[in-house]
Amino acid sequence: MRTLRALWRIPSARLALVVLLGVALLAVLGGTLAPHDPLHQYTDDVLQGPSSTHLLGTDYVGRDVLSRLMEGTRLSVVGAVEAVLIGAVLGVPTGLASAWLGPRLEWLTLRVSDTLVILPFTVFAIAVAGTLGNGLQQAMIAIGILISPIFFRVTRAAALGLRKVQYVEAAELMGATEWWTLRRHIWTKVLPNVAVTAAHATGAALLVVASLAFLGLGVTPPAPTWGGMLSSDLGYLAQQPWAPIFPALLMMATVGSLNLLADAIRDATGATEAPRRRRPTPPVREERRDGVPA
Amino acid sequence: MPLRTSKPAQPTHLNRRTFLGASLGAGLILALEACGGTSTSSGGSGAGGTIKWAWQLPTTWDPVTSSAGSDVQMLALAYDPITALDEQGNAIPWLAESWKYDASGKQVTFTLRTGLAFSDGSPLDAAAVAKSIERGRTQQGSLIAPQMKTIKKVSASGARDVVIELSEVDYQYPLLFAGKTGMVVNPAAFQKDAAALATQPAGSGPFVVTKYVQNDHASLKKNDHFFAAGEIKVSAFDLYPQADPATVVAAVQSGQYNVARLGGAQVQQAKDAGLEVQVLDSMFVSVLDVHTGMAPFDDPAVVEALKFAIDREKIKKVANFGIGDVNYQPFPPGYVGFDPDLGDVYAYDPDKARQLLADAGYTDPVPAVFTSSGFAPAAVELIQAQLKDVGIDAKIDTIPQTQHTQLVYIERSKALTYDGFAGRESPVQAFQVLFGSEGLMNPSRTSSPQLEAQLKKVKETPTDDPAYPGLLQEATRIAVTTFPNVFLYLTPSIVARKGVSALPASPSLRRFEGVTTS
Repeated sequence: MRTLRALWRIPSARLALVVLLGVALLAVLGGTLAPHDPLHQYTDDVLQGPSSTHLLGTDYVGRDVLSRLMEGTRLSVVGAVEAVLIGAVLGVPTGLASAWLGPRLEWLTLRVSDTLVILPFTVFAIAVAGTLGNGLQQAMIAIGILISPIFFRVTRAAALGLRKVQYVEAAELMGATEWWTLRRHIWTKVLPNVAVTAAHATGAALLVVASLAFLGLGVTPPAPTWGGMLSSDLGYLAQQPWAPIFPALLMMATVGSLNLLADAIRDATGATEAPRRRRPTPPVREERRDGVPA
Repeated sequence: MPLRTSKPAQPTHLNRRTFLGASLGAGLILALEACGGTSTSSGGSGAGGTIKWAWQLPTTWDPVTSSAGSDVQMLALAYDPITALDEQGNAIPWLAESWKYDASGKQVTFTLRTGLAFSDGSPLDAAAVAKSIERGRTQQGSLIAPQMKTIKKVSASGARDVVIELSEVDYQYPLLFAGKTGMVVNPAAFQKDAAALATQPAGSGPFVVTKYVQNDHASLKKNDHFFAAGEIKVSAFDLYPQADPATVVAAVQSGQYNVARLGGAQVQQAKDAGLEVQVLDSMFVSVLDVHTGMAPFDDPAVVEALKFAIDREKIKKVANFGIGDVNYQPFPPGYVGFDPDLGDVYAYDPDKARQLLADAGYTDPVPAVFTSSGFAPAAVELIQAQLKDVGIDAKIDTIPQTQHTQLVYIERSKALTYDGFAGRESPVQAFQVLFGSEGLMNPSRTSSPQLEAQLKKVKETPTDDPAYPGLLQEATRIAVTTFPNVFLYLTPSIVARKGVSALPASPSLRRFEGVTTS
């Protein structure tokens, strides 16, 4: 709660939270609040402009664009969140383990992480979809795996910094178990960094989900997604040049808010501040008698 | 002392700023030059211009190994078939000026025109044609060999006569030789390196490929050895893949292409942009391929319901912007195999579809998977909604276009697929592809003894026999009413032109004789 209050005091965080709250509401209640069935085809009203019946017009088979945007929020956001959760579940424990459980595991996890980092998101997701079948779950697993090195590196860096701080060493000397130390001293310090990373990664995942949907991967039609709507709108630019603006705006607002929120979390929690380490003892220099170092 | 009329030139000091400015200017000039690209050099008027067509690139430039029916359009730029088709689908002379069957119907002799030559100038005589046919029917991996199963022997008789002996009566060869099967490949090329034909075609067609960048473009120049070279009014032909719908009109407007294929959604935009829009009849019929070995289409009642469940008129209106014609059979009206008696045999009747399912004992929605390779998404989504309306709950499964043939026709792992049939030169060949026990586009690989018997009669009847159309149309009737394929509508080719004269009407092959640029 203290962190939330600190966040709320930052104006950009307030803006981001309001936007994200709206997006979250749409994700949960979008289908229910939609004025029309997002899959119903009004085939006599194809490619209509905004009107009182269809506030954002209709698409190429006569479906209500507003309703599809609202319904599409759920799949787009849930997909991104799912990918980030997979990334965090894979990346955070391995990041802690890498810093804590010895050089062999450290070497192994670093090599795996290095390998995953060089794989391009979209190409890997296409390969996974081609192997496991075209579906949202498959695509999210692929994206989650590729996001995991981000969590791994952030967690590992933070944990390494905490490994040698005095209170951790003191706890160990007093007989604290590694699990207790991790839980009591490390996790609470690592969490703000994970939160910042999660906010950034959600924005990135949202864009990747949209990119995949744009390419026809992940969510199969007629289910609406922001990327899928953007993609199909491009085929009818002559009839509805404004149509891609709506899903694009939603994406921009959401990703922008997530980035603002990430920055605000960092500011509010000091997540990027280097943990205070025990000051190393300066090396004793031999000095010549004239005061000039030898 | 010389009279000075102007200020003396100041010596130029090449300081850093001057150098940067000059570099920027030079770079800009180079960039503009690069952007101008071929348009400046290849533009031109009348004789000597370039057709720049955003159309499609072939799977290969070798007609023997080409795996897509639509390749024939591009291959015809570089190769000549032995015969051609008129607008009704009858065989007409091309490389062969005439042909004659013997009395038994088991031997046909094609007589070539005089003075034919391949693009390298070597003579295109009967011996070359015989060798080319022989390669097509015997080479390992040939995809046209199954169509020439009934050929026993091919030989040259003199310089102009190609004699084909058949194991059984078959009057379809003049039609068959109007497509890939009859395209003549220079023997010198395939005897030297047949694999090279995939990228370096060696034929006698109106153009010669000078450069081919896979998946990007092909540059062709006029073939002066083409037998009707005088009819080719342009000096070059640049072939590109189909343009993106979002940019195709702008691309033609800007001169990147001067002919491009359009979708129905772009027609008005192209007209508004001042482009010439031409709708060309084609033999392309959109169709649902049904695998009767896979659930739920292993139940004939579901297949029958499927045929009545689709509102083709609505799809044509919404997805195709009203362009094309609803069609319930594999041939267009006017074609010799088109059976007018079929009428609206599977006209939209959702009540009947529901009743068929109810009578078959289906009380809950019938689950199904509906495969699409991503083209015509509007049609696919409309069909899905229409199926849902009658009680078939079809989940759309989008597969990559590059895997379509493999998954649907070779592995035969998809129950219901949206696709199109581009037609074939010989109607019997079309039947074999769609309904034959080895037919590529017959996912079930089922056959019908009744249809086989009827096709035998068709093959044994000369194409100019008055009984021929009736026999062929009877075969069409049998196929349409006994096979699961759901034919939807004819899809014409729509092109936008800028600075290119009208293209000749030709439902089978696009021809460019007489086409000029300005």
